[in-house]
Amino acid sequence: MMSMNPIGGRWKSPMEPAKSNGSEDTNDRVNILLVDDQPAKLLSYEAILGDLDANLIKASSGTEALEHLLKHDIAVVLADVSMPGIDGFQLADMIREHPRFQKTAILFISAIHLSDIDRIKGYQRGAVDYLSVPIVPEVLRAKVGVFAELHRSRRALEALNRNLEQRVTDRTEELRERADLLDLASEAIMVRDMNGVVLFWNSGAETLYGWTREDVIGQDLHTILSTRFPVPVSDIESSLLKTGRWEGNLVQFTRDGREVTVACRKALRNERAGAPGVILEISRDMTERLRAEDALRNAEKLAAMGRVAGIIAHEINNPLEAILNIFHLLRGHVALNEEAADYTRLAEQELLRVVHIVKHTLSFYRESQQPVAVSITEVLDNILELQSRTLHLQGISIERRFLTDATIQGFPGELRQVFMNLIVNATHAMPDGGRLRITVRRRVDPKTHLRGMAVSVCDTGTGIKREHIRQLFEPFFSTKSAKGTGLGLWVSKGIVQKYDGAIECRSISYRDGNATCFRVVFPRHISMRQIHSDAAYSAQES
Amino acid sequence: MSERKFVILCVDDEPVSLLVRSRVLEKAGHEVITASSGSDALKTLRSTPVDLVLTDLLMPTMTGIELTRNIKKEHPSLPVVMFSGVNELPQEEFHADLFLSKLEGPQILCEKIAEVLHRSEYARNHP
Repeated sequence: MMSMNPIGGRWKSPMEPAKSNGSEDTNDRVNILLVDDQPAKLLSYEAILGDLDANLIKASSGTEALEHLLKHDIAVVLADVSMPGIDGFQLADMIREHPRFQKTAILFISAIHLSDIDRIKGYQRGAVDYLSVPIVPEVLRAKVGVFAELHRSRRALEALNRNLEQRVTDRTEELRERADLLDLASEAIMVRDMNGVVLFWNSGAETLYGWTREDVIGQDLHTILSTRFPVPVSDIESSLLKTGRWEGNLVQFTRDGREVTVACRKALRNERAGAPGVILEISRDMTERLRAEDALRNAEKLAAMGRVAGIIAHEINNPLEAILNIFHLLRGHVALNEEAADYTRLAEQELLRVVHIVKHTLSFYRESQQPVAVSITEVLDNILELQSRTLHLQGISIERRFLTDATIQGFPGELRQVFMNLIVNATHAMPDGGRLRITVRRRVDPKTHLRGMAVSVCDTGTGIKREHIRQLFEPFFSTKSAKGTGLGLWVSKGIVQKYDGAIECRSISYRDGNATCFRVVFPRHISMRQIHSDAAYSAQES
Repeated sequence: MSERKFVILCVDDEPVSLLVRSRVLEKAGHEVITASSGSDALKTLRSTPVDLVLTDLLMPTMTGIELTRNIKKEHPSLPVVMFSGVNELPQEEFHADLFLSKLEGPQILCEKIAEVLHRSEYARNHP
C-alpha cells in the first residue's frame, strides 16, 4: 500500500532545514533520526540526547523520516509508534524493505500493549528495541547511545575493510606493473644468490638464452650459460664487494648452443633485515651489434682494397698486355734455340697465371653495357650441367630446390662467376663424395620489406673452422692451400655487394659430419611478369 | 677475296704497347698503321683508307670514346674496336663496335678483330 514513489517526488523540494548537513555526516558523529508528530516530544528527545556526540535529525512524519533516511547515513531511528499517516510500525516495515537499511537500529517509543510487543518481535532481524512511556531520560540516552556506538564501530570497521581492500588492490597492481616492467625489458634480468644459484629470471632472459624460468631457477647461472669472463672471476667478485658494481662484456651460450656476447651489469645487494645478499645481473645482447660493426669495418676495409685494386689493375694491365703480346711474338720465333724456346714457354705459362689472377680479381669487366634480366635458376642449371661430370665422378649427389623462378636485373657473367665459385668450392670440399643442395627462394627483407631472393649452396664436405669463417671473404685467404688463389670468395662478395646483396657462410659440425652453407641474398628481384611488361615497354620505345 | 690484307689503324699513347700490338696484328696477317693520339688518328684517316680502328680507351688528350664519336661522324660504317685495361665499361655511351679487355690476350684480340672485319666486309658487299 505504501510505495516509495509518492515521497520520491518530494526529495528535491525545499524542505524544512535539516538539523544536520552533508559535511557533518562524514565525521565521526553519527546521525540519530527522531520521528514524532508532536513537536514538543521531539524537543524533549532532543534535550535528553543532546549530551550524546551525535547529530539529531528531526522528522515530524513517517514520510519525512524516509526522506532523511535516504539522504543521510542514519545510525538510529527513534520513532513514535502512533503517528497520523504512516505510523511507527509502517515506517519500520518500509525501512526494512530497503536493503541499505536492514541493519539500521530502530527504537520504538510507545505505550506498550502486548500485541505491540509481538509485532516488535517481527522485526528481530535488525536491531530493534522499544521504550515504553513515560520515558526515563537515562534509559533513552543509554539505549540510543549503545545503538549509536554500535553503528559507529561498524562504520569504522567497514571503512577499515575498504581501506585494506584498496591497499591490497593497489599493492597487487603495483607488483604486477613492476613484474610487467621487468618482463617488458628486452634485457635479460637475473637475480642470483651469493652461490650463483638463480632466484629470478625474466622473460628477456628467456628470449635471450632460450632457457625458461622453470629450467634455470635453482641452477647455477654461469654453469648453465657456460659464461666466459673477460677477467678472472675473483676480480669481478672483489669489485662487487668493494664498489657493489661490475660492468663488462661476457661471452655466453644459449640453450641451442649459439654464442652470444652480452654487455653485463652486476650489482650486489647486501644482506639486510634478515634477507640474504643477492647479485642482480642485467645483460643486453650485443652479438648482432658487434657483428654489424665488424661487418662494417670489414666492408670498409674491402672497399678501400677495392679502390686500390682498381688503380693497380689499371697500372698493371697496360704493361701486362704488352708482355703478353711480346710472348705471343716470341712463340715460334726462328732465332730461339730449343732451350730458349722452353724458357719462353715457361715464362709465358707463369705470366698467364698472373693474368688469370688479375683478370679474376682486379679487373673483371662487365660483358654488356646494360644490365639484363638474369634468371638465377638458369645460371645455376647451366653451371651444374658444366660441372655434372666432375660431380658425378666424385660421387656427389645434387639436390635442386628451386622454389622461385624470379629473375634479377644484372650481368649474367659476373653472377655466373659468383655461383661457379660457390659450387666449385663445394665440390673441392667433398673429395670423397657427399650431397650438394642448392636452394633458391623468395625472401622479403625484414627491415626494408624489399622483395628479393636468397640462394644457398650447401655441402656435406669437410666443413670450415669457426676461426676461418671470418676470414673467408678476405683476399688471399684460402683453406685450399696451394690449390686456391684465395680470391674467389673475395671477388664473389664484391660482385654480390654491387647488387646491394650479401653473402654469408655458416658451417656446423655434428656427429656424422659437417654441413657448410653459403647464402647469397639479393634484396631485389623482378618477377617474370615484370620482365615481360618491361620487354613490351622497350619494344614500344624502339 | 677474304685473302686480301686488311688495314688496321692502331691508336695508343704508349709506344711500347703500340709497337708490340702492331707486330701481333701483322703476324695475324694484317697491315698496320699507327697513331699515338686521337687527333693523329683522325688526321691519318682523312688521307688513308682503313678497314678498322683499334683504339685505347684512356688516352691523355682525346679519349677513345671521343675519338670513336668523331670517327663515326665522318666514317659511319668504319668499324671501331675499343680496348681497355680498366675494370669496367665506361658509364657514358660509346659507339664502338666492340669492347675488349687488354687481358684477353693476343689470340682473342686477333679472333675478335677478324670477326668484326668480316662482318663489316659482308655488310659492305651486301648493302
